[in-house]
Amino acid sequence: MEVLKGPAVEVRGLRMRYGDADVLRGVDLEIRRGEVFALLGPNGAGKTTTIEILEGFRRRSGGEVSVLGTDPGDGDERWRARLGMVLQSWRDHPKWRVGELLEHVAGHYDQPREPGELLDALGLAEHAGKQVRMLSGGQRRRLDVALGIVGRPELLFLDEPTAGFDPQARREFHRLVEGLAADEGMTVLLTTHDLAEAERLADRIAILVGGRIAVCGTAAELAEAVQAESEVWWIEDGAERVSRSHDPSRVAWELHRRYGGPVPGLRITRPTLEESYLNLVNEKEAA
Amino acid sequence: MNARTIRAGLRRGGVEYRQFLRSPKDVGVGLIGTVGIFLALAISQRGSDWPGTDTPKASIMAAGFVAFSVFSVAIMGLPMTIAADREEGALLRVRSLPGGTRAYTIGRVASALGQILTYVALMLAAALLFTETRLPETAGDWFTLVWVLVLGTLAVLPLGIALGSLMPGPRTAANLLSVPMMVLMIISGVMIPISVMPEPVQWVAQAFPLYWQGLGLRSALLPDTMLAAEIGQDWRTLETAAVLGAWAIAGMVLAPWLLRRVTRKESGSRLEARQRARAAQASY
Repeated sequence: MEVLKGPAVEVRGLRMRYGDADVLRGVDLEIRRGEVFALLGPNGAGKTTTIEILEGFRRRSGGEVSVLGTDPGDGDERWRARLGMVLQSWRDHPKWRVGELLEHVAGHYDQPREPGELLDALGLAEHAGKQVRMLSGGQRRRLDVALGIVGRPELLFLDEPTAGFDPQARREFHRLVEGLAADEGMTVLLTTHDLAEAERLADRIAILVGGRIAVCGTAAELAEAVQAESEVWWIEDGAERVSRSHDPSRVAWELHRRYGGPVPGLRITRPTLEESYLNLVNEKEAA
Repeated sequence: MNARTIRAGLRRGGVEYRQFLRSPKDVGVGLIGTVGIFLALAISQRGSDWPGTDTPKASIMAAGFVAFSVFSVAIMGLPMTIAADREEGALLRVRSLPGGTRAYTIGRVASALGQILTYVALMLAAALLFTETRLPETAGDWFTLVWVLVLGTLAVLPLGIALGSLMPGPRTAANLLSVPMMVLMIISGVMIPISVMPEPVQWVAQAFPLYWQGLGLRSALLPDTMLAAEIGQDWRTLETAAVLGAWAIAGMVLAPWLLRRVTRKESGSRLEARQRARAAQASY
């Protein structure tokens, strides 16, 4: 199949304008087949807008977009059948029974997964006869994942999948997504505003700030690219002094040379990835 | 449209029809309530004929309430469920499925048909048991009964889908639709013959399918002596078929287009924004 070649998602110069507001100002992205890709950014950065354009739910103002080889604006039913999506807060079909809804959704696809097995795999088997509205938040989200993957999609969209979860539910959900990506070879695009989540789940992360991709790469590449300045502290004339630098080792070496020996109160703090990320977000948003 | 979509749609219709049967509000207030109002009115009028027609008032109401049942399920119940589906995000969900919007439409139509059948059967049963109403005696009247019910349903179901597509939410739908529906009920001959209404009112009633469906049902269920109280002293069968058919065609052209338009507008962030707005409103 030609569809297996080329990246799962290719975006060039994507723009979105609502009235006078530019939400996306030229986003470039390439998501490879089989990878878990995180679109990370603060609230309001345009993550959901981006994902909705890729899902074919929203028309873009400009730029080129290809999802599984098709422009989402022209995506037909066959194309749609190859996508799965878990939106931020589904509350649909509250009166349906869990098993009933999953079977119904499975009925739209050529080669769906077996609904019973899927419920089992997601720990929902015992709730199959329950009404959807009776599920807890975490159970509901797992059902949403089940509904998103029952058609064996090649590409799964997860929009802020753990928003509103407690840490326990979040950990369980992370294990679920890791399993899906590892066992099924599915391409996953997830959006999140939580750096730790992106680091844990994604092969590659793109940071979206102010309508543009600021950095894109593996967590390690990201750390290097966004690394904020380290702080070198020491005591001089009874007062604490600080110097900020990308090369704290050099600052320390110069201090040692100046003192000709040990530097009083020497202390170096390197920012965590989290701090670097927030620093980057603040810089870009201020610009 | 492929067989899979049709199967998915029918399955959806079946599930939703069962939900209707299990819902205390839909069955207790809607179904039993409507039949109850009919029975209360009919029994209070039992034994009394409409002047000059030799026809029991209760039987006139029986035909009227059968027509009204079809009308209210399609024009009130259906739009409210579609608006609720939209508010809850079901329209967005079906949009994310291949063939989802078509299956949804089939499902909504199927479950509304089930409800209409249930209403009509119960209403007719109540009329036969508790009033002087009798089923048709000739094959011709049976034929009329069936085609008027079928065409009358076709005239209002697509219209209900179209209305549902235009409603922002189920409460707005109830607020916007209930008053016009009650007015139409009063002026369209459901309880009292339309000939007692002033002529301009008669014209308004004759623009809508409810009057014509009632007229067709009366022609099947009531003796021809009833014609004394009908407009033009005629059953106007051709006009009935023409008006109901016109509504059916207009609805079938309009409804799929409108429904596609609103489903296409649904997106996660819009849904979210509406849910937030509603939460804010509720907290006042």
